[in-house]
Amino acid sequence: MNVNRYLPLCLTLMLSGAPGLAFAETLVVNSYGGPYEAIIEERIIKPFEEKSGIDVVYDAVGSASQDYAKIKATRGQPGFDVVVMTASQSLQGCKDGLLEKLDVTAVPNLGKLVPSLAAVAGPCGAVHEVQYMSLLYRTDKLASPPTSWSSLLDPELKGRIILPTFQNIMAVFLMEIMSVTRGGDMIDNVDPGFSAMAELARQSIGFEQSSAILESYIKDGTVWAMPFWNGRAQLLVDQGVPVDYVRPKEGTVPLIATLNVPVGATNKQAATAFIDFFLEKSSQEAWVTGYKVGSARTDIDIPDDIRKRQITTQADLESLKLPDLSRIADKLGEWGERWERDVVSQAN
Amino acid sequence: MSTIALTAPAAMPGAPARSSGYLVLAPSCLVLTIFFALPMGTMIGMSFMDAQTLSPTLLNYQRFFSDGLSLAGLYRTAVMSILVAVCVTVLGYPVAYYLARSRSRWRALVFALALAPELAGVVLRTYGWLIILEDRGFINDMLINLGLIASPLPLSKNLFAVVVGLTHVVLPFGILSLTTSIQGIDPNLERAAQMLGASRLSVIRHIILPLSVPGIVSSLLISFTMAASAYATPALLGGARFKVLATMIYEQVLFYIDWGFAAVMAIALLIMMLAISFLGIRYETRRGNRRSNREGEAS
Repeated sequence: MNVNRYLPLCLTLMLSGAPGLAFAETLVVNSYGGPYEAIIEERIIKPFEEKSGIDVVYDAVGSASQDYAKIKATRGQPGFDVVVMTASQSLQGCKDGLLEKLDVTAVPNLGKLVPSLAAVAGPCGAVHEVQYMSLLYRTDKLASPPTSWSSLLDPELKGRIILPTFQNIMAVFLMEIMSVTRGGDMIDNVDPGFSAMAELARQSIGFEQSSAILESYIKDGTVWAMPFWNGRAQLLVDQGVPVDYVRPKEGTVPLIATLNVPVGATNKQAATAFIDFFLEKSSQEAWVTGYKVGSARTDIDIPDDIRKRQITTQADLESLKLPDLSRIADKLGEWGERWERDVVSQAN
Repeated sequence: MSTIALTAPAAMPGAPARSSGYLVLAPSCLVLTIFFALPMGTMIGMSFMDAQTLSPTLLNYQRFFSDGLSLAGLYRTAVMSILVAVCVTVLGYPVAYYLARSRSRWRALVFALALAPELAGVVLRTYGWLIILEDRGFINDMLINLGLIASPLPLSKNLFAVVVGLTHVVLPFGILSLTTSIQGIDPNLERAAQMLGASRLSVIRHIILPLSVPGIVSSLLISFTMAASAYATPALLGGARFKVLATMIYEQVLFYIDWGFAAVMAIALLIMMLAISFLGIRYETRRGNRRSNREGEAS
């Protein structure tokens, strides 16, 4: 065998590995597109690049569940180092051994987060943002602002509400909160929740999965009220749409967004540095004021008008009903079937 | 009837030995093994595995047959695919006949128009139908504004919408397979029939239609399999209230993270498509055999 024949091949293989060495300080961050991308680039990524000298490549492909499917299919080597998902995927990924455990030695700012919220996401997720399910309504159509989740059942809203599909976690949270409102609980006794959702289905014009389509219905006035994440609700208010949102008196459930590192990430050190930077007090202030969401840090300084509407204080946190996401994950299959049978069948 | 006997050419000097014929097949076999057989094997393996404990189980299959929802999904998929296959073939046949027989200068234009839908992506075309069919869409808006109806007609988020959308998506494939088949029919047969006094309608009924059965069968098969495996159109036009296996599999993979159950659904879909293809091919082979028997008797 002539070894020289294989020399070019060997050289090519060696050189193809070289960029990895030469640009070791390149970090691939996977998150969302749209307004999210513009705000995270300006408020977090640019300052991080300036401070650390690490180049960030932004990958906007995929929703949280699509990202998680990619991590699972590649056994923890999806090609990105940091990924923005939610506490549900953080817990699942930790259980499946696909996400790195994060601790205060590598990410000192984790110690600054409110323990109860950090606990919801488990040891593999760094909570960088907290939204809550709000009740969004048209200010020009409703005589007075709704105060309770049960307002969705008011006769004046017949045919004027829309519901998320079950595959949008908001549907699960709405079912749970309706269950609590009617004397059930969030996991073991959800019968009242499902019967309330059946009533809501009869009241609704149907189901939609994506936030973008859901909001189109309230924008054009087809729908007058619906549950919606407050971050996006605030963006609608800022756009001048005649809508506003409330945290109903029964309380609400938070959507806890997390930063995660897949086990096979190539740049773990840069990844944890990025996460720590995102959790810094100044970065959290920039993110809360930029993307109009809440934070798991209660020590941030932000204007009063934003603080009033977001989850930023201990008192706000205590008003939240924290979901037990790992138990929800175990129940999802059963609840999904029940949703098809009891809720979807009731829609008009 | 004269027959021409074909004999194998004598082996050429320096021609590769017979065994090397398999060598030529090796690349395609390798590609098929890596990209088809292996993933398929993995999927079948996954369907017998518990998502949590990874231990072997038949529970995924048991659930498929007992939960009621999965079989309903399979049924919806079958009904939808049959309707699409029939619509595509019925709508595509006249166009294909025109394309195969016309000598008009408009033929090129009709051909381009028939294939034009393929130039736009499936998602784009489906959104187009959504804008036309939804409650706040073009048709409902127009009918309400004209005072013909008071509340929107249920044109979207149901079987009707999905069949309309998929027929549009699949139609060019049906037209192509029918055109090829009709082009293969000797035009002299039609002329002969007309000379013998057959009307245009009976020429189509007794000559063209029976001879284009292979094209009809392949159009039905292509449309059925394409419709059964389609995802984007049922997802957008069917929504939460009209779920087919493809959209249910997507949910199991991404939302419920139950890949074992998703694999069972995918296998059910695959078996349904294989069964239909098998029936179609068997029908064709039998027809072919009958014909060659008849020809054998006649000669």
